[in-house]
Amino acid sequence: MGQHRKAIVTLERITKRFGEVTAIDDLDMEIMAGEFITFLGPSGCGKSTTLRILGGFEKLDQGRVIVDGEDVTRLPPNRRDVNMVFQDYALFPHMTVAQNIAFGLELKGKTRAEIDKRRGELIDFLRLGGLSGRTPDQLSGGQRQRVALARALAPDPKLLLLDEPLGALDAKLRGQVQVELKDIQKRTGKTFFFVTHDQEEALTMSDRIVVMNAGRVEQDGTPEDLYFRPRSRFVAEFIGETNLIQGTVAGRDNGAIIIDWNGLKVRGAAGEGAAPAAGSPVTAALRLESVTCHAEKPVEGNAIAGRVVHRLFKGSRTALDIRVGEREGAVLKAYMDATEAQRIAHENLWVSWDASRLSVLRD
Amino acid sequence: MAQSESDYAGAAEVPARATPGRDRRSFWGRLLGNEFYRAVSAVLFKTEQRQFWLLASFPLLWVFFAHLGPILQMVWISFVDSYPPTAGREPQLTIANWTSFFREAIFVMPFLRTLAFAFVLTLCTLVLTYPVAYFLAKHVKRKNQLLFLLLLLIPFWVGEIVRTYAIMILLGNNGAVNLVLKFLGLIDRPIPFMYTSFSLGVGIIYLTSLYMLLPLYSALEKIPNSYLEAAADLGAGSWYRFRRVTLPLSKEGIASGCTLVFLISTGYYATPVLLGGPSTTVFAETIAGFFHVAGDKWPVGAAFSSLMLITTLAITGMFLKLMGRSGKGMMQ
Amino acid sequence: MTRHTRILMSVIYWAFIIYLFVPLVLMVVMGFKDSKFIGFPIRGWTLDWYADVLQNTQVLGVFAYSMAIALATTALSLVIGTWVACFLGPHRFRGKLIVFAVTCLPAVIPGIISAISLRIFARLIEIEPGMLAIILGHTVHNVPFVALVVMARLATLPRSHIEAARDLGADAIVAFFRITLPYLMPALIGAGIFCMLLSFDDFVRAYFLGGYAPTLPVLIFAKLRSGMSPEINAISTVVLLLTAVLGLWAERSMRRMNKGTS
Repeated sequence: MGQHRKAIVTLERITKRFGEVTAIDDLDMEIMAGEFITFLGPSGCGKSTTLRILGGFEKLDQGRVIVDGEDVTRLPPNRRDVNMVFQDYALFPHMTVAQNIAFGLELKGKTRAEIDKRRGELIDFLRLGGLSGRTPDQLSGGQRQRVALARALAPDPKLLLLDEPLGALDAKLRGQVQVELKDIQKRTGKTFFFVTHDQEEALTMSDRIVVMNAGRVEQDGTPEDLYFRPRSRFVAEFIGETNLIQGTVAGRDNGAIIIDWNGLKVRGAAGEGAAPAAGSPVTAALRLESVTCHAEKPVEGNAIAGRVVHRLFKGSRTALDIRVGEREGAVLKAYMDATEAQRIAHENLWVSWDASRLSVLRD
Repeated sequence: MAQSESDYAGAAEVPARATPGRDRRSFWGRLLGNEFYRAVSAVLFKTEQRQFWLLASFPLLWVFFAHLGPILQMVWISFVDSYPPTAGREPQLTIANWTSFFREAIFVMPFLRTLAFAFVLTLCTLVLTYPVAYFLAKHVKRKNQLLFLLLLLIPFWVGEIVRTYAIMILLGNNGAVNLVLKFLGLIDRPIPFMYTSFSLGVGIIYLTSLYMLLPLYSALEKIPNSYLEAAADLGAGSWYRFRRVTLPLSKEGIASGCTLVFLISTGYYATPVLLGGPSTTVFAETIAGFFHVAGDKWPVGAAFSSLMLITTLAITGMFLKLMGRSGKGMMQ
Repeated sequence: MTRHTRILMSVIYWAFIIYLFVPLVLMVVMGFKDSKFIGFPIRGWTLDWYADVLQNTQVLGVFAYSMAIALATTALSLVIGTWVACFLGPHRFRGKLIVFAVTCLPAVIPGIISAISLRIFARLIEIEPGMLAIILGHTVHNVPFVALVVMARLATLPRSHIEAARDLGADAIVAFFRITLPYLMPALIGAGIFCMLLSFDDFVRAYFLGGYAPTLPVLIFAKLRSGMSPEINAISTVVLLLTAVLGLWAERSMRRMNKGTS
């Protein structure tokens, strides 16, 4: 899905407090039509609260929620054109799959004919054929999830909310469902608002990720942005495995920042915003995958010599702890192909990386 | 809400058919769309506060009017000198109804007797049913427990009158017990069990044992076997284990059971009439006496009734406090 | 526990079962005695008493009366009890404990006091002793039980189910009738049958609140006051069968409820 410039949802300066705790602190952003946006963060970060506010299940203390131009802040869930897939699916146990899916349509006043047609579409689309007569306790986890999805999609909402819906599935199924969900979103063109604490899940499925921490937005960008160019320590540590390079600012060079790292000079990419002053302490993040290890010194590029101080065989690849430079403390973690790793003589090797992958952090 | 365009694969157009069922809308859908309903619910359900009070109003009214009302009314008329009110005469407030209790032994005796009975019978029921509850909770496999429990419940569904009658047949001069004793040659003439404290006691224990058994069973069932196994592991013998682990942990069940049995046994009317005699008049009979005679004895009956209520609730409250829990907590 | 203790415990249980059942068995057996005189030994057997009872219009009329009262009070108690449960269960408010205590009050008051207070109260609200008074009296007594059972079931309904219904367009009314009520059904059936039993078996309230027409327990009591006879046994046995069936049915429904889904 290429251009979706139209903002379908606006969260305008939302603040929500539970007693003394501020769950959401001045959240202000837009969600574009047709995008798969994920709110990612640890428990208590405010992502679920945001979801529930969008759905109408929590009242906010300050701010407005606008869906497709309409201010829905005061509207209860049944009057909003927003539907939700719940964490436990919440399929009505005394109704069949067909009745569950039809529920929202019936309440909208659709005729039998309209309901049958729409339901048939969804059953085909979500591969629920043959299951319409079953009750939820006769379905598998994956099937239940698809029914919950069908039920939520049936009334054709403007926004679909998904509350950590893959938590109850086993790892293998989860992988399949992630791909399916992404596919469904693409094909229906619906705006999906997804909430999870699993960063891998977020990276796999989302067009855009918003990382939240203690009620505030840490970073908002595409998966690649967040992964290779984290802007804060929290994001760097929350997503993927990271090397944290701590040193002092040694200078600037064409928009890049030179960092004095335990005697080594390395170049890092700074984000927007004022560059830190020379001499001030700075932290930069480098993903483990961004580090390339070479058994022999590579011909071109500026590789640094290092020494393996610890290795861990992990099947397809080996995890290495590498000490670079002269002084103590400069240790990098990296992966290397297992066979390649065996070729390292006397634990001596060379490491290199793309400077744009060394991301200077704000804090 | 009009359906938006969607590109679902394989959505075939359903041919339009003029069958009557196809145009039907669901009842709830129609209700939600109905103008009148929308207008009314917009007003009624406007705020959460309003919704709450709509839900709360009838239950609150019912509970305070129908549950509490009769008690309050009863206490109220115990302070009045004539009820139902006779025409042309204003009822006066008086405490004579209450003081009349203390003046006559014929009132005090049944009162004390009822309380003493209740105490003794509660204790007997506890001792009698505790082993049964223990057996059920600890010695029967979990999946069979329901069945064993069901067996115990069946005799209780038939009601107090029928069960009292059954005891009458058991204990009568020509009843089963006397028959067996005669058959065994232990007696020549039948023992007059009936119309004594004994028969009344047997009857009431018979009627109330379930109310002791169920709370005991419930409490014992909750004690994890691992506690007892750990105690045994540490060297405790079975009597010691029982005294120091099982008994204290079943305190809640004992408290609930004893409270229930005590309160219920003071409240019986038919059983004492049928199984007891003139020497075993219980207070329930005394109270009832004031209501069978048409006339202005009701206030006295109300006073006695209130006295009994206050006494039994006070005793229960003290007992529960002794056992370490508040009365309200017990009711959960 | 040693084996000896286990055997002893088992003996105690079965002794207790025998103790519970024997009087009832004796009562049933006595109904077959060919004599007007209650007592052992039994020399002749007959089915006449049962035949008489099943044809006795007076007795059948009383059965029907008790049944009618039981049905009416069950219907009333279920509605009121459910309403109270829906109010008390999920909401938190000041004074909830007091309301809960007052709700349970009729269940813990000694029977005679309950009956007396209701009798006086009926006079206050100008209801004559009779069917309506008994129905109301039984309802007051039953509501606590219904409320407790329904509250227990209601507590297991996940909040997400109601939220899902609202999300899909249901308001409070629709959510109740289409989601909550079907979910409560097993509890309602169990509680309903329990109400029938409670009402059918009740003596004290029916005795003091009743008019000239007796309920079944009141009838049996009256007959017993004037002396025992196998006729009473026959009536009692029929009651026994009826209540056993009702009770077992209630247990089955309650058991299905504890399995989770309706």
